Amino acid sequence: MRSFSIINGRQTVKNNHRPPLPWPLLRFWTLRILPAWFLIALMIFLVQLAICGIVHDNDRVKAMLQYIDVLGPYIKAFIGGDALEFGNIAGLIAAGYQEPLVLLLYMLFAVGVPTALLAGEVQRGTMELILSRQTTKTQVYICAGLVTTVGMYALVVVMFLGTVVSTNLYDFEQEVPLYSFFKLAVNGGILASAVGGIALLAAACFRRGMAVSITVAYLVVNYFIMIITQWWPRMKWLDPVTIFNYVDGGKIFIEPGWPVSDMCVLLSLLVISTVLGGVIWYRRDLPL
Amino acid sequence: MKALEVKTLTKRYGSARGIEGLSFSIEKGEIFGYLGPNGSGKTTTIRCLMGLLRPTSGQCSVLGQRVIHGKATQHNRIGYLPGDFRAWPGLTPRKLLRLLAGLGHSNEINQHQEQLAERLDLNLDRKMRALSKGNRQKVGIAYAFQHQPEVLILDEPTIGLDPLIRQIVLDLIRETAQAGATILLSSHDLSEVAAVCGRAAILREGRLVELAPISKIVQQGQRRIKVWFVEGTSVPQLLPGELAGVRVIQQNSNTLLVAYQGTIDALLKWLAQYQVDRIATTETSLEDAFIQYYQREADREE
Repeated sequence: MRSFSIINGRQTVKNNHRPPLPWPLLRFWTLRILPAWFLIALMIFLVQLAICGIVHDNDRVKAMLQYIDVLGPYIKAFIGGDALEFGNIAGLIAAGYQEPLVLLLYMLFAVGVPTALLAGEVQRGTMELILSRQTTKTQVYICAGLVTTVGMYALVVVMFLGTVVSTNLYDFEQEVPLYSFFKLAVNGGILASAVGGIALLAAACFRRGMAVSITVAYLVVNYFIMIITQWWPRMKWLDPVTIFNYVDGGKIFIEPGWPVSDMCVLLSLLVISTVLGGVIWYRRDLPL
Repeated sequence: MKALEVKTLTKRYGSARGIEGLSFSIEKGEIFGYLGPNGSGKTTTIRCLMGLLRPTSGQCSVLGQRVIHGKATQHNRIGYLPGDFRAWPGLTPRKLLRLLAGLGHSNEINQHQEQLAERLDLNLDRKMRALSKGNRQKVGIAYAFQHQPEVLILDEPTIGLDPLIRQIVLDLIRETAQAGATILLSSHDLSEVAAVCGRAAILREGRLVELAPISKIVQQGQRRIKVWFVEGTSVPQLLPGELAGVRVIQQNSNTLLVAYQGTIDALLKWLAQYQVDRIATTETSLEDAFIQYYQREADREE
C-alpha cells in the first residue's frame, strides 16, 4: 500500500509495504555480535587443534590418561567420561566437543546474544526506537532468534572445521571418522540452538539479569546431572532429564545412522521454547 | 478528517493506575497540546497510540487505521520522539539516523537529515556517547522529523535544549504543521504549548480533566491585581468570603495582591472606599491557569 502526502510543498511517497524481515536491524545486530562471535569461534577452533595435537602423541596420551584415572571417576566424567580410553582416538578427539571450556564458550554465546538483543535493548531504551519504526515485535523477535541460531550453528561448523584441519595437520594411528564427527557436530548444533531457544524464552519474559541467571542455572543444573549420571550408576534414571543426554557421542560413532530420536527431542525443545518465547514477547507489555 | 483518535482508552498496570477512559481526537494539520504533571498518564497514552503498550480497553487510531499493539500500524507515516531519547552509545548520529530510517524505508532522508542537522547545529559525526544531553535530544528531534512524517508524536521535545534551539524546534513544529502534518505535543513547558498549540488536553491522575482551545484554558484561570495604597494610609483587611471569588495572595505595608475570578466590578467598588495610589493587572499565563486549574480540581475533590 502506498500513501502520498504533501510536506513542504513536495509530494512524498510513503511505502507502507513491510518486508518479511527488517534487514537493516538484522545487519546491525549481526555486526554488533560479530567481534564476540569471532573471539569465541577462534577459541573453540584452537581448543580442537590443541586436543588433536595432544591426542596424536601416544606417549603423552598414555601419561595423561593414567593421570586422569588417578584423579577419580568424577573428574574423568567431567572431562569426557568413558570416551577417555587409550586407543580410542575418535573418543578422545570427541572429548574436545564436550570439554568444559568449549561448553562455557557455547554457553556464553547462547545466553549472551538473545538476552543482549531482546532484554538488553529493552533495558537500554533502544527497543522503543526500533519499535517506533515500521517493525513489528514479532519481526524483532525473529531477528534475535535468527542471529542466535545461525551464530550457534556457525560455531559448531567452526568446531568441526577445527577437527578437519587437525586431521590434516597431525598423523593418527587410526583413521578419524570425520563423517561421525560431522553427525556429532550437527547434533551438537541442535543442542546449542535449543539452549539458544531457552535463552530467547527467558529474554522474552524477564529483564536481562534475570534472563541470564535463569538460562545459566538451567545449563549448570543440566550439566551437573550429566556428570552425576556418568559418575554414579545409581542415578542413571536421571539421564533423560538432562539435555546433554541427547548428544551421545558413543552412540553416534558406533551406529551408522543419524541419532534421529535424540535430534527430535532437541528440535522439539528448540521449537517449543522459541515459539513460547515469541508468544510471550508479542503479548507482553515491554518495560520500556 | 481525524488524524489521531483515542476512544475510551484505559490502561492499567495491575492494580496501579495508568489512564482511565480517555477520549479525544486531533484533526489533520492541528497542533495539539497534551498537558499533565508527572505520572498523569501522558507517556502511557502516547505509547498506546504508538502500539507499544496493549490497552486494557478502548482503542486508538492513526490516520484512520486502528492501532494494534506490536504491529507498527502506519509507523512509516509517524515521527516519534520518546520522552527519554536513548540510543546506542557507539553509533554516530548519522549512522543512527540512517539505521532508523532504513527500518522505515523512507525516501529523501539524507538530504533532509543534513538540513535538520544544520538547522539544529548538530554534529552528525561524533559518537552518541560523546554528546551532551541537549545534543542527544537534537538527534531525537532530527529522528522524529527526518522522514517528513504526516503525524508527529513528540513527548517533551524541548527538554534539555537551550533557548535558541528550543525556538528553532518550535519553528520546526509550526512549519511542519503548516505543511499539513498533525502534531501531538506532550510537554511540561506550558509556555511552549501556548506558543504553538491551538487546543490542549489536560490530564490528571490518568483522567482527562480539560479539553479546550488554549485561549479558553487561559481565560478559565484566576486573574490577579496588585494595588498600591497612598503612603501613610493603612492597608484595608479583606476578610475571607467578604467578596465572592476574591482572595488575598499577599499583603505588605502598602500593597495588596489579590486574585479574582469573574468580573472585577465588586473588587473595584470595595477598593473605592480607600485611598488607592495605583493599580496593576497581570495577564494570566497558561502556567497560572494550569496550576489554578489543578487547585480547583483538588478543591472539588475535597
